[in-house]
Amino acid sequence: MTNDAQFEVTVSGQPGPAVLRAQGEIDVASAPEFHDALSGLIAESPAVLIVDMSDVSFIDSTGLGVLVSAEKQMRAEGSGLRLVVTHPQITRLLELTGLDEVFTVVSNTTDAVNA
Amino acid sequence: MTTPLSTPAVVGTESAQRVELSLAADAQMLFLARMTAAAVASRANFAYDQVEDLRLATDELCIRLMSENDGGGRIALVFGWDDEGTLDVTGTLTPDGSLSGNGHRPPAAVTEPSDELSERILDALVDDHGGETIGDVHRAWLRIRRHELAG
Repeated sequence: MTNDAQFEVTVSGQPGPAVLRAQGEIDVASAPEFHDALSGLIAESPAVLIVDMSDVSFIDSTGLGVLVSAEKQMRAEGSGLRLVVTHPQITRLLELTGLDEVFTVVSNTTDAVNA
Repeated sequence: MTTPLSTPAVVGTESAQRVELSLAADAQMLFLARMTAAAVASRANFAYDQVEDLRLATDELCIRLMSENDGGGRIALVFGWDDEGTLDVTGTLTPDGSLSGNGHRPPAAVTEPSDELSERILDALVDDHGGETIGDVHRAWLRIRRHELAG
């Protein structure tokens, strides 16, 4: 048996800000792939990194931890990380953990570019 | 709230209100725990938001157990609920080499910041939770009460 909500990640960056589009479930199993993809993009020193989570249906503390680490790295380099979140449960989770105060959270990529 | 050394009796003594799941303590298997949690919460007449809460809380409970060892072993999850809307989940991690999976876990560099987040998530989602370790057996539990819908 496999997880129907398999995690996938795609990356784009030129022209414009770097965009990582994640889909599926970000849990303790998929967090390493998520971490590696984010680290790869951050290593290219983008001025802005957008993590599009519109198609992410689930994220746990491990996935949030990856995002927190990425945000710290970006901030240390004077860059910005923006999250695109549309799933109400993920929005609520960010609020419950107080991370909505840490990240710039928007509801679509256009807003993320302009934030 | 975290309460060590106080595993409660699981509600749901009726066999129809009790579900048991045994799985390898392997990150790749946690989706089974989430699926079961969602099914149990639905069966116990929890509303959608609380079904999602229990799904995430059960995932966090398993992560907590898996963080207690170096991989391998099995997690036994017991879900029990009663007619009043109390639902308990107890997870027990035992080091059973003959049954263990590959113990796939993300590297520490990935999980390091998540322990505090996990605690915060459980504090927010469930009414009570805790854990204990006796020898090489690790146990974690949570309790969530059904929100009654207005009207």
